[in-house]
Amino acid sequence: MVSSDHQNLVYDIKLSSVGPGHVTGSNVVHEPSNMDLAMKLHYLRGVYFFSSEAVQGLTVYRIKEPMFTWLNHYYWTCGRFRRSNSGRPLIKCNDCGVRIIEAKCDKTIDEWLEMKDSSLTKLLVSNHIIGPELPFSPLVFLQVTSFKCGGMSLGLSWAHVLADAFSASDFINMWGQAMANQLPQHPVDLSKSSSMLVKPANRSQLATDPLSIKRVDPVGDNWITANNCKMEPFSFHITATQLTQLQTKISGHKATPPFECLCTIFWQSIARVCSRHEPEIVTVCKNERGSRRTGTLSNSAQIISTVKADFSVKEAKPKDVAALLVEHAVDERGLIEAAVERDGGVSDFIVYGANLTFVNLEEASFYGLELKGQKPVHVSYLIDGIGDEGVVLVAPPGPKDSGKDSSEGRIVTVIFPEDQVMELKSELKREWSIA
Amino acid sequence: MASLSNSVKLKYFKLGYQYLVNHILTFFLIPILMGFLIKILSLGSDQIFEIWSSLHFDLLQFLGSSLMIIFFATVYFMSKPRSIYLVDYACFKPPASYRVPHSTLVEHLRLSNKDNPEIVEFQRRILQRSGLGDETCLAPANLYIPPTPSLEASRVEAELILFSVIDDLLKKTGTKTKDIDILIVNCSIVSPTPSLSAMVINKYKLRSNIKSFNLSGMGCSASLISIDLARDLLQVHPNSCALVVSTEITTPNYYSGNERSMVLINCLFRMGGAAILLSNRKADRSRSKYQLLHLVRTHKGADDEAYRCIHEQEDTQGIQGVSLSKDLMLIAGEALKSNITTIGPLVLPASEKLLFLFTLIGQKILKLKWKPYIPDFKQAFEHFCIHAGGRGVIDELQKKLQLSAKDVEASRMTLHRFGNTSSSSIWYEMNYIESKGRMKKGDRVWQIAFGSGFKCNSAVWKCNRTITTLTDGPWLDCIGRYPVSISQVLDL
Repeated sequence: MVSSDHQNLVYDIKLSSVGPGHVTGSNVVHEPSNMDLAMKLHYLRGVYFFSSEAVQGLTVYRIKEPMFTWLNHYYWTCGRFRRSNSGRPLIKCNDCGVRIIEAKCDKTIDEWLEMKDSSLTKLLVSNHIIGPELPFSPLVFLQVTSFKCGGMSLGLSWAHVLADAFSASDFINMWGQAMANQLPQHPVDLSKSSSMLVKPANRSQLATDPLSIKRVDPVGDNWITANNCKMEPFSFHITATQLTQLQTKISGHKATPPFECLCTIFWQSIARVCSRHEPEIVTVCKNERGSRRTGTLSNSAQIISTVKADFSVKEAKPKDVAALLVEHAVDERGLIEAAVERDGGVSDFIVYGANLTFVNLEEASFYGLELKGQKPVHVSYLIDGIGDEGVVLVAPPGPKDSGKDSSEGRIVTVIFPEDQVMELKSELKREWSIA
Repeated sequence: MASLSNSVKLKYFKLGYQYLVNHILTFFLIPILMGFLIKILSLGSDQIFEIWSSLHFDLLQFLGSSLMIIFFATVYFMSKPRSIYLVDYACFKPPASYRVPHSTLVEHLRLSNKDNPEIVEFQRRILQRSGLGDETCLAPANLYIPPTPSLEASRVEAELILFSVIDDLLKKTGTKTKDIDILIVNCSIVSPTPSLSAMVINKYKLRSNIKSFNLSGMGCSASLISIDLARDLLQVHPNSCALVVSTEITTPNYYSGNERSMVLINCLFRMGGAAILLSNRKADRSRSKYQLLHLVRTHKGADDEAYRCIHEQEDTQGIQGVSLSKDLMLIAGEALKSNITTIGPLVLPASEKLLFLFTLIGQKILKLKWKPYIPDFKQAFEHFCIHAGGRGVIDELQKKLQLSAKDVEASRMTLHRFGNTSSSSIWYEMNYIESKGRMKKGDRVWQIAFGSGFKCNSAVWKCNRTITTLTDGPWLDCIGRYPVSISQVLDL
């Protein structure tokens, strides 16, 4: 919840819709894959901050107009969900549109970023969910907020049932191309893409749910799961130098990749502060290189694997934990798809936060969205609708942070139960000098 | 089998009758001339010369009779009304970014009318049966939730439509702005100060002695009223050309209240506009597309019910909107009948007039129980442009005038692609026919428009030159998809 004095920071809210410029046609339907349906209770909230140079002279109309051409390439994101006779959700591509929110803020971009309060991000991006009426719930919300300095923020609120963060990022980057009149000529033919069933599962494993997902109580047409405790987001900026130091501290040399190092640090720290139980199993999500087709959106190209620790993580040596993460991750996508398929796509699951989840967004091209050739000054992403175990997102840094050599820092965003945040922060500071 | 051969026989009988009556003069004259020719040929050349010299042509008589002939011919030609030519016209094509799919409109209505789901459901049902497609357009102010009309937004829409169609038209016809002598702009609901015609004069720097008129409040038939005004002015001013611009600004039209009779506007009216260039110059004759043959205006305002059937008013909550009466179709039918009674004798061939007269005598004088004879207007016109007021209007007129599906195709497809664009819809329909390559030289077009008041106005144009494939126009990118079949009830 945002405090009352912060409620008025963003004002003059106007709602409208933007859809594809071309008629998609009647009776066009997009069927989500099993993997898509496994992710349906999650939502991505991304905010892109642009300086005044990047958006000079951009009126609301000039921002909206290229969207009509852009959305021709992604017409199914403008549709609305229905349920088939079996209860399985599908998207009716009726060109209803994405929702656009226009807003104003009396702070400058710098003042806003200075506040370093991740919860304020909620004011710059819609916290929509799909439901309670499926046929009237937009899947994508875009919020354009104008700041006092002339800068602008773009808030992308994205239903994870459409695709993962990498695809969402590609989706919004293409809007940047549309603004610069550089869209590809013809939209990709969606009929050729298929939802792949990755690594079909063993028969013996089919009966039980995989470790990476958690079956939740039926949510009906209100696609959000309730948390038992309030979750709070907070971020760390790990510089390139810090990262090298941490890598050395963990494994004595730079061999362990940065993501696994950060996972080790946070797994151990959380294990130490977690009052309820020590997380033995974690879920790790990362991009599967080479399996994405340009112009398509997918949930199936994000590897979801679990790592199980046979030993006590909080007492183990960091390099053992790191080795576990690097070598013993089990890809569970096939099992997830089988679990969804078993119930005909009708059951409700969560993936992020079912266990402590680490999401590697290093390869997402967050800074690929350019306006007038300028990259955003800052990008932040959160995931909503996560489970109680918490989520750690590792994202690429901003353009200012690239190191002299090819090494770069990282932005780590943690979404964790509110009552344990202080302890976690002090543990991280104490043990790893992360503040 | 018997009925088929009977209907074929009837058809040929009808054709024979029509041919006979319509060419009765020819049928009489030819035998007479033939007789005369045979008589002359049977005489020898000497006898012809004798007859010729016996006529005693006197120089004075000759001069006198020639002068008389010349005098009467001059009086005849001088008193003949000037021919009015339609040089060309342009229709507004809204950009794709103004598109309002049905699903979007319904969703917006739900969000703007949370307290009243019944009125939203009512509008959804209207949309399903409206005959409008998913490509119709509204101004951006109407795409906000709730819509944000303002005077400024109305002006912006007006500038977009008016300047766009006028630019198009001036380019197509190669007309210079200094050559425009008469300017008539019609827009029913929006009438700011300075007027829309002043807006046009300002933008295009028209001459200071231009005769400009701004017609507001005259409803969907205002385009033909403007054409009528232009025609009268062109009779008075020789060697002139008139620019007529017809539009309806949609920005302020959204009705946010709960009266069922007043929400129809939200469902049917869409963005559109047209600019027409008329001329009475002889030089424009060869390049013009059409010539105006007749224009008949009928006003039923004297009847109270007709007067109130399209009525702008405030509802019980004080929200302003336009109410459409349940008796609209009935009143439209009556107005059409009046209009046909005047225009029929001007355009129908003798065969139809005779049949109509015959039936009328039988009904009124002999008091026989005959059904009123509906003249076959397909004999008088090749093309029909019925104002795309709504599916009901087109259905009603198709029935009343006994038109085929092809005759009303232009109207139905215009309603589907562009919605009810008010006064400019007859021009989109004309353009549809041209885009389909159906407009040939000599074809006669009947434009019928209805409007608040209640008015029924109709114009008859004759095509001056065959119009081959168009290279511009609002139908250019979609004519290949038309005609489409429009289901009775859309699945929304």
